[in-house]
Amino acid sequence: MRRLSLGRIGLGALTGLVFILLYGPIFVPIVSSFFTVKYGQVDWSHANLDAYALLVNNDGILTALENTLLVGVSAVVLALILGCFLAMFYRFSRSPGRGFVQFIIFLPFLMPPIITGLALLIFFDDINFDRSLITVIIGHTVFVLALVYRTILVRLQSLGMNMIEASYDLGASGWQTFRLVILPNLKSALIGAAILAFALSFDETMITILVTGTDNTLPIRLWAMMRLGFTPDINALVAIILAFTTVLVLVASRQLIPKEFTTREA
Amino acid sequence: MKTRIAGLEVNQIGRTPWPLTLLAYGLPTFFILIPLLSFLTYSFFWVKGTELHSSFQDLTFLNYVRIFTDQIYLPVLWRTTVLCLEVAVLAVCFGYPVAYFLASLQGRKKYMFLMLLLVPLLMSYVIKIYAIRSILGGNGFLNRFLMASGLIDQPLTFFVFNLQAVLLALTVLLIPFAVLPIFLSLEKLPRNLLEASADLGASELQTFLRVVLPMSLPGVIAAASFVFVLAIGDFLTPQMVGGNSGFTFGRIIYSQFGTAYNWPFGSALSVLLCAVVIIAIVVGSRFGNKRGLA
Repeated sequence: MRRLSLGRIGLGALTGLVFILLYGPIFVPIVSSFFTVKYGQVDWSHANLDAYALLVNNDGILTALENTLLVGVSAVVLALILGCFLAMFYRFSRSPGRGFVQFIIFLPFLMPPIITGLALLIFFDDINFDRSLITVIIGHTVFVLALVYRTILVRLQSLGMNMIEASYDLGASGWQTFRLVILPNLKSALIGAAILAFALSFDETMITILVTGTDNTLPIRLWAMMRLGFTPDINALVAIILAFTTVLVLVASRQLIPKEFTTREA
Repeated sequence: MKTRIAGLEVNQIGRTPWPLTLLAYGLPTFFILIPLLSFLTYSFFWVKGTELHSSFQDLTFLNYVRIFTDQIYLPVLWRTTVLCLEVAVLAVCFGYPVAYFLASLQGRKKYMFLMLLLVPLLMSYVIKIYAIRSILGGNGFLNRFLMASGLIDQPLTFFVFNLQAVLLALTVLLIPFAVLPIFLSLEKLPRNLLEASADLGASELQTFLRVVLPMSLPGVIAAASFVFVLAIGDFLTPQMVGGNSGFTFGRIIYSQFGTAYNWPFGSALSVLLCAVVIIAIVVGSRFGNKRGLA
C-alpha cells in the first residue's frame, strides 16, 4: 500500500538501530557463554559448553533460582486471589470507598520500587517482622497486584451484566455464579496476568534487595556477584533464562494478544 | 438489607457481606497504605549515634532542615532530575520512530515486532546493566569497534563511571517503556483523518507534522513521564555504571539505608523523591494519556 519512500527507509533504519541497542546487552553474555573467559578476555578460538557444566555445580546460584521460583509462584498465586477478589469488589460492590481502595492498589505500581521497598522495610521493622523470603513474597505480591488487578478488572468490565443476571435468574447462588459463569470468562485474563506477574517477580530487584533478609533471589545473587566480577557460568545462566522467558512470552502472547488486541480494534 | 429480585438490580449482586468489605479495605490498607504512612512518619524521627528516637513526643523537622540547608542534597536532586529528564527526552526521541514504524506495519508483523520489543524487558535487569557496562567499558565492545574502525587509537574512558554512562545506560534500558505509550496513541489515531489529510493534498510529511504528531503528543508526554519516573527511582544502574562521580539521588537514599544507616534521614530524602515523582505523574496524566496500565 505504501511506497518505499526515503523517510520510510530512514524510519526502518532507526528502528533497526534501536533493536540493536536493545538486543546488544542480551546477546553479549549469551554469545560469550559458549566461549572460555580468561583474565577478562574472551577466547574466541573454540566454542564449548564448559560454562553450562560449571553452572550445575554452583550451589549459590541454584539455591537462588529455587528461591526465585518459590517467591514468584507464591506471589503470583496470592496476587491472583487478591486481585480477583478486589476486582470483583470494585466491579460489583456499591461501597463508597472502592475508588480509594483502587488508588491504594495502584500506588506501588505508580511509585518507584525504591519507595515501595523502603516503605515495606520500615513497616516490617515497625511490627518486628523478621526479614525473610516471606517479606520478599509480600513485597512482590504488593508490586504485581496492580497489574493483576487491572487485567482482571478490564475483563470483568467487558463482561456484560446480562450473563450474570441470567445466572441468577436460573437460580444459581452467588458462589455458583462466580465459579460457573465469571471464572471461566476470566480464564485467559488470569493466565495472561499470571505470566506477566511471574515475569515481573522473576526479575524484581529493587524491592527485593531492600526487604530480603539473608536469602537471595536470582537477581540479588547476580547483583552481589557483579561486584566481584562475573564467572562464566553466569553467562550460561543468562542464556538459559532468556530461552525460558522467550518461551514464556510466546505462551503469554497467545493467551493475551489475540483477544485483547482484536477486541480493541474491532 | 435490600431485597434482590433475581438480579434485577443492575450493578448490584446483593450486598457485599461485611467481612468481605472489611477484607477489601483492610488488606490494601495494611500492606500498602500503612507502610507508606509509617514511612512518612519515619522521616520525622531522628538518629543520634546508633540510637533511634522514634517517640511521638520527639518528632523533628531536622531531617528536612538538613536536606534544605546542606550543600549536597538539593544539588544532587536537581542534577538527578535533569539527568532523568534527559533520559526521558532521549528515550522518546528513539522511541517515537520505532512506535511510528510499528504502528505502520500490518497485521501479524506488527505484533511480532511488538513482541520483539517486549522480550528484552523480561530479560534480567541486572544482567543488562552489567552487559551495558561491559560494552561501554575501556576494554568493551564499543571501544574495540571504534579502534578497529580506526576512529580512535586509544580506548575512550568517558563511557563508564560518570553521569554520561548513567544517561546512556538508562536510556537503553528504558526505550521500550517509551515506545509502548506512543504506539498505543498512534494506534488510536482515526484512519479517516489521515486519509482526509491526504485527500486534501497534504504530503506524507505534512500529514505527519500537522495531524499525526499533534494528536500523538499525549502519548509522548505519557511516555516521557513513565520513563522519567522509572529512571529517577532506579538506584541500581547508577550504582553499577556511575562510579564515584555519577552520584544520583536514588543512590544517596539507598546508602542511608545501607552504609550510612540513617533510616529517618533516608525517609525524608525519599519523601522528597516522592514529591518529584508525584509532580511527574500529575504532569503526565494531566497532559498525557493515562499511564499505560492496561
